[in-house]
Amino acid sequence: MYDKTVRRRRAVLVLLVVLSLLLLTAYFGEAPGGRLHAVQRGFLTVVSPIQDGANKALKPVRDLFGGIGDTFNAKSQRDQLRKQVDKLRRELVADQAEKRTYRQLIGIYHLDQLSLNSYHPITATVVAKSPNIWYSTVTIDKGEASGVRVNDPVVNAEGLVGKVGQVASNGAQVELITDSRMGVSARIGTGNATGIVQPKVGDPNTLLLQYLPANTPAIAGEYVVTSGTVSSPDDSLYPPGIPIGQVTSINEESAYRSVNVRPMANLHNLDVVQVLTSGRGTPAAKLSGLAANLPPGQSTAASGGGSGQLASTEAGG
Amino acid sequence: MTGSGLSASLLGRVAALAVVIVFLQIGVVSEVPVFGVNADLSPLAVAFVGLLCGSTLGAATGFAVGLLVDLALVQTLGVTSLIFTLIGFWSGRLRELRDPQAALTPLLVGAIASAASLVGYSLIEFMLGVDAPVSLELLRQIVLGIVVNAIVALPMWAIVRRVLEGALPEDPRRRRRRRAYTTGGLSPLSRA
Repeated sequence: MYDKTVRRRRAVLVLLVVLSLLLLTAYFGEAPGGRLHAVQRGFLTVVSPIQDGANKALKPVRDLFGGIGDTFNAKSQRDQLRKQVDKLRRELVADQAEKRTYRQLIGIYHLDQLSLNSYHPITATVVAKSPNIWYSTVTIDKGEASGVRVNDPVVNAEGLVGKVGQVASNGAQVELITDSRMGVSARIGTGNATGIVQPKVGDPNTLLLQYLPANTPAIAGEYVVTSGTVSSPDDSLYPPGIPIGQVTSINEESAYRSVNVRPMANLHNLDVVQVLTSGRGTPAAKLSGLAANLPPGQSTAASGGGSGQLASTEAGG
Repeated sequence: MTGSGLSASLLGRVAALAVVIVFLQIGVVSEVPVFGVNADLSPLAVAFVGLLCGSTLGAATGFAVGLLVDLALVQTLGVTSLIFTLIGFWSGRLRELRDPQAALTPLLVGAIASAASLVGYSLIEFMLGVDAPVSLELLRQIVLGIVVNAIVALPMWAIVRRVLEGALPEDPRRRRRRRAYTTGGLSPLSRA
């Protein structure tokens, strides 16, 4: 009797561990359109409405706990924001003159095709969030039925939030900019040099803008914005000029320069986001298609090839 | 009651508990950061089911909860299942071999389960290959995660025990121990 119990216990453990390893291997090895991914998307389709309902019902509880935490940060944020307002006021005056010149140049060269107007923003509610250090993802209540597609950029009022990772019919998973799989082509302020913004795994409040040329000027407090280029054929084409974060410090390295960036968007407190969908035939969709068809050799993010090799789409615009 | 001592009522309660905990985790707890990290109720629930119901049900619950988490959060299937299966089995074996009765046992078990979950996940992610730079902050996040989970371990233990209490099979060793103390059979005073 005892032997039988021990044998059964061991058999259950071995069976479950082997099953987990098989799932892991199969999932990791298959393409995003594979069977296990399809099962996952199907599950997302089924649970999205449930998550949506639960999210609405439990919002007061979440707000209560969130409110307590927010109160502690409010005072320091207020002082910081006052300083920022003063600085921005001064910058605004200078920018107005530059804006006039910029408009004239756009008119001359017809360069306004890749503005946010080319995208159709779809407002979505965040219904679930991953607790994992490695996967910074949220689930939203809009999916394929609303025109959301894989790789569509996701923003909120503060700046870039991430991109769509997986889509079900009425829900989608958004990979946040702090997710270990993300890489966004970006530049500092109005400079021309582009680098790649990647998260620092384990540090959700810091991003790293890497592969900038060594002589790139960078000052703490400057804004980092999307460059409108892609870092790999699989990447998303983010519209240029979306704020990502602010430079906090500069790291001196031999060949390239990298800077630490604090994200603009408060990723701990996401309620509503906008998915920038690109309608068929729009310049954004055409450029996304073009970027997706680039040969693999153009990819630089993983290989660390530097900004000089970035597959720029600006010329195409 | 099934042959293994697991009643349908117990299985039903464990299944309901698993589903509620996973949805509560991804819908509410994940959005409330404490000291910059989020509490993770799922490894705690798995460990406590193992601690109350034994290694077999603990491992099975771990597998199911892990699969549910991976499916709901669109993560790599199998990673969380593997880690939670081992956590559930370990806590179940702890009960079967040592049956710890100290009041702080759930806190310790919760902290170890959380540590195993966070470290195990990080190791698997390293093995699968990560493009992003890994910060030293990861270590701080792991330590803070363990502390926060240890804080919520005792209330979580109370909830899990409350939910499963009525359906738990009678443990012969606990029954013997209780009888010994109530009848005076093993009391040192009675022997003297």
